[in-house]
Amino acid sequence: MTIKEKGYTHWDGEFLDKKLPWWPITRYGIKLTFRKKFFKLLFAGSLVPAVVFLAGIYVSERLEDFKFMFQESVPFLQINPAYFKTYLSDGFMLFIMIVILIFCGSGLISDDLKHNSLQLYFARPLKKKDYFFGKTAVIIFFLFILTLVPGLVFFIMKLVFAGSFQFFLSYPWLPLSIIGYSILVTAFFSFYTLFISSLSKNRRYVALLIFVIYFASDIIRAIFYENFHNHYFSLLSIRANIQQVGAFIFSEKMPYPIPWFYSFLVLTSICVLAGFILKKKVKGVEIVK
Amino acid sequence: MSIEVKDIHFSYGKIMALDGVSLDLDQGAIGLLGPNGAGKSTLIRIMLGFLSANSGEGRILDYDIKTQQAEIRRYVGYMPEDDCFIPELDAVSFTSYLGELSGMPRQEAMKRAHEVLYYVGLEESRYRRVETYSGGMKQRLKLAQALVHDPRLMFLDEPTSGLDPQGRTEILELIMDISSKKNIQVLISSHILPDIELTCSYVVILNKGKVAAEGDISKLKEIRDLYEMKVKGEAQGFLDRLKEKKCRVEETEDGILKVYTPSDYNRQEFFRIAAEESVQLRHFVKSQSSLEDLFADAVGVD
Repeated sequence: MTIKEKGYTHWDGEFLDKKLPWWPITRYGIKLTFRKKFFKLLFAGSLVPAVVFLAGIYVSERLEDFKFMFQESVPFLQINPAYFKTYLSDGFMLFIMIVILIFCGSGLISDDLKHNSLQLYFARPLKKKDYFFGKTAVIIFFLFILTLVPGLVFFIMKLVFAGSFQFFLSYPWLPLSIIGYSILVTAFFSFYTLFISSLSKNRRYVALLIFVIYFASDIIRAIFYENFHNHYFSLLSIRANIQQVGAFIFSEKMPYPIPWFYSFLVLTSICVLAGFILKKKVKGVEIVK
Repeated sequence: MSIEVKDIHFSYGKIMALDGVSLDLDQGAIGLLGPNGAGKSTLIRIMLGFLSANSGEGRILDYDIKTQQAEIRRYVGYMPEDDCFIPELDAVSFTSYLGELSGMPRQEAMKRAHEVLYYVGLEESRYRRVETYSGGMKQRLKLAQALVHDPRLMFLDEPTSGLDPQGRTEILELIMDISSKKNIQVLISSHILPDIELTCSYVVILNKGKVAAEGDISKLKEIRDLYEMKVKGEAQGFLDRLKEKKCRVEETEDGILKVYTPSDYNRQEFFRIAAEESVQLRHFVKSQSSLEDLFADAVGVD
């Protein structure tokens, strides 16, 4: 059949006045992430700590049943804001987040740069903020599953297992802390990942950078601290800054004896700088001067 | 008017890319011609809102290019020059994804993606991942994504670049079908003059950021007459006299002179000047000027 015989018909539907024009970007971003090799297994594995902590909450309410396993003098499994903080801002949990970011975030912008697809997006009725939000929402989806969702589930399950609202009455601000911390860490890692993703057209370099910058910042902090014994060097570490602000949000003892808002300022500055550079880097057309 | 721009100026730093471009273009297929750096792609990008003009104004499909960019992009299909796709998607997902981003409902975008892929001849390979496509298939896919939301106007930037003769013919057939039978206006930017001559009835020639010529191709060709001749004797004086009479002269490799004359030029002048300059005119024929001649004339190259 020749082309002319195939014919072209006009579309008689109506365009939607979409309130969330970025949603297809997010949906496809999540779909493509799950298609990646080993990602489903890895993502399931990343939820293991949440299951363990949830089991801990259950055990804490059934200590009598498990008493034979422990010495009486050992204070075991106290469920308090520190327990939530430990799950959410522990170094291992942050490491898991970095690994998930490598899978879900490294190609978000770099693939579009590599395959010149920005012009395809911006030839549609999309604004730059829609594009960014669509990409950011992919990261938000995965990080909220690791932070916000387990945090709130722990809280609810604690009330369910205890069969009373005593825990809620003792720490009524805790759900807000969980939400606040989850938003903070997700917002920071979103800017961090999208910024690095916009730096290179090669997704592998981006993945490497996401990993290296995070750990290098911690190594540099350790080197300086060992040489100068000044706690202010913890401001150089992404992990230390997140943990410092996290401790404040959960009203816990600061891991480093420096004001928490210094760390908050560092994280915010990185986000602002990343946002500024992202805005410059992502354009519908590349202008060669 | 579908495309209406007025006194558009745009510069990349100190380099002036568009210098007072004004156009009023209506239905049909329109060719946008010009040498590299003439400002063709810049003009399309300004009309789509990728770039903001330094000054000037314009309306596309009656939407303002400065304030109603979203509406313009909803009703305009854009086929970029570069290879561009979203990796890891098959052609159906790719096309329907871009349909959704245009504002189509999800299921309709999917249905429509199948239809346009069928139309451009990718029905057999629509479930293949786009990164495995050949150059010709990618061109068709770019055309499909530009058509998926049923635009009223299409901007096609070098639609046949990198295609073999067969692929080129097929893409041109599609473009002709779209522009002539489907009530979709098409603006084609191309370096390939025969493509424009085949598909378009109207042409805009840009040169150094300005409109060098504009109009119906057939009428533009009539502006200058073309004569081919051979001259025996010392030709320099004869050529100088022709140039004084506002004729443009080109010499081919086999010694034939191609002389473009103003439309009101009296051909008897050739013989009079030849007699005065003591040269003999041989092989004197009136020839048909081509779009290539028109282009060369407009941009001032041989």
